[in-house]
Amino acid sequence: MFRAAPVPATLIDVERPLEPLWRGVVVYRVLTLVTVLGVAAFHMTDYASPWGAGLVLAVMTVWTAVLARGYLGDGFEDRRGPLALADLAVSAGILLTTPLIVTDAQLDASVPGMGSIWTSGAVLACAVAYRIPGGVVAAAVISAALVLAKSRATLTELNDIQILVLAGLTVGYASLVLRRAAERVRRAVAEEAAAAERERLARAVHDGVLQVLAHVGRRGAELGGAAAELGALAGEQEVALRTLLTSGNAQVDAAGRRDLAATLRASASGRVTVSAPAHPVELPAATVGELDAVVRAALANVERHVGAEAPAWVLVEELDGAIEISVRDDGPGIPAGRLAEAEEQGRLGVAQSMRGRVAGLGGTLDLDTGPGRGTEWTIRIPTRADERRESV
Amino acid sequence: MVVDDHPIWREGVARDLGERGLEVVATAPDAGAAVRIAPAVRPQVVLMDLNLGETSGVDAIAGIVGKLPDTRVLVLSASGEHADVLEALKAGATGYLVKSASAEELVDAVHRTARGVPVFTPGLAGLVLGEYRRLAQRPAGEPAVPALTERETEVLRQVAKGLTAKQIGERLVVSHRTVESHVQNTLRKLQLHNRSQLVRYALEQGLADD
Repeated sequence: MFRAAPVPATLIDVERPLEPLWRGVVVYRVLTLVTVLGVAAFHMTDYASPWGAGLVLAVMTVWTAVLARGYLGDGFEDRRGPLALADLAVSAGILLTTPLIVTDAQLDASVPGMGSIWTSGAVLACAVAYRIPGGVVAAAVISAALVLAKSRATLTELNDIQILVLAGLTVGYASLVLRRAAERVRRAVAEEAAAAERERLARAVHDGVLQVLAHVGRRGAELGGAAAELGALAGEQEVALRTLLTSGNAQVDAAGRRDLAATLRASASGRVTVSAPAHPVELPAATVGELDAVVRAALANVERHVGAEAPAWVLVEELDGAIEISVRDDGPGIPAGRLAEAEEQGRLGVAQSMRGRVAGLGGTLDLDTGPGRGTEWTIRIPTRADERRESV
Repeated sequence: MVVDDHPIWREGVARDLGERGLEVVATAPDAGAAVRIAPAVRPQVVLMDLNLGETSGVDAIAGIVGKLPDTRVLVLSASGEHADVLEALKAGATGYLVKSASAEELVDAVHRTARGVPVFTPGLAGLVLGEYRRLAQRPAGEPAVPALTERETEVLRQVAKGLTAKQIGERLVVSHRTVESHVQNTLRKLQLHNRSQLVRYALEQGLADD
């Protein structure tokens, strides 16, 4: 019955949840640049074109600086995705300069191609920006460039490809999880603020307006005549205002669940009594929406067939592995065969639409009625055992 | 005795009761005053609002019932305070009426409460049913929790579905007094369980001597 406490907003920056990942990408880029510069310096004299190697390394250094500014700087947040794609193109291009600079003999001796490990940073950037699909596609692009550039696919290249794909998947997944977590925190914080505001309002209204409305309703009824009419109006407004103040409990929570009891209580009025447990009966929001629609249809039916002032009772019960809702009235009952007759005539009766909704939830709808016995609809839907435990 | 934090309401209810032959021995605006005043005036019935400004009617009920075992508490509260109503019942209240009830219903409820007959609305039956179901779902191994007999469950469900004691009696072929006593039992078991839990908690915390 307790919702998991929302993660304090300081843990995850709700507005910019991916910031730590971008910082990581830039640090990785700088470290790998230093590594690649060192390795290149070591092989410089044996390169087919030392001048070409120097030029490519200079481009890599400048590009790393551009990336650091773009991935970390303020005001560039919206352009990080396109920048990651540009990064992918530049990195693939750097790899493809390999045949012009590194000799075949060097490649045979396991000397790395141009860019080598530095280019994998583009895979990480794409994974952060475009999640798992971005990571996997970027890994495929860099892998293709790698094989083309070295025009070979030995165990070494296959190993590199494997690591690229894994990195793309992992970082893409982390990006996805961070975004979701931030979204949840954002919703939880908003929910909390709304609840606090409603509580403040409820206290103020309870102390004043509701008391006076209730009192007017009461005195009006006693005085009779025109005053009784005013009293009845005041009473209706009291119920409406109270419902408005308490209906906040029926909101969908961060996990996509909604309290069935609070939702159905919104249907309560002077003539409709809703009885339910005091603790929340949490179900998936879509299920609650359907059940609410079914109950409202049944209540509308009471109003139409028994009378606008006819009392009705709704009972919500949590049974073992099922939720049962009963909607009852004390009316004359539905004569035997009336419903079947209506359905045969092709009139989309209330019963049919109610039945359809309940069947859609995997539940059953039963009708108990007869002359002088009133009418009672019983809606029963199964709940999964694990789902229930979560909600208690 | 009428306990409510709002003066207009408090005086209005007191006058209604007075006009209908009931004696209002005291009124109180909050939980502290209620618990202090009650032992001095020893009311038969306390009409208790649950939302008493900064204080809670539930605390007041526990305090009053603890000191005055013969005094009965009827909760007169707004709808929409379901969890509080349930706590109030567990603390020892024997009935619940919404504030929108008419003066006649209120006077009738006070008379019934004074006689020891619980005042059960369908909404209240739904809360009590829900509480028993919740207790039954607790994992095994916890101390024994109260359970309803099949007949008690049936009666409570019928009350929650809006049937009167007379209608239920006709359906189950028993007298309406039998129905009322079933309802009374469901409430008493819940209160006993609550009290024993409080005592156990006090013992565990070493507070029993206080």
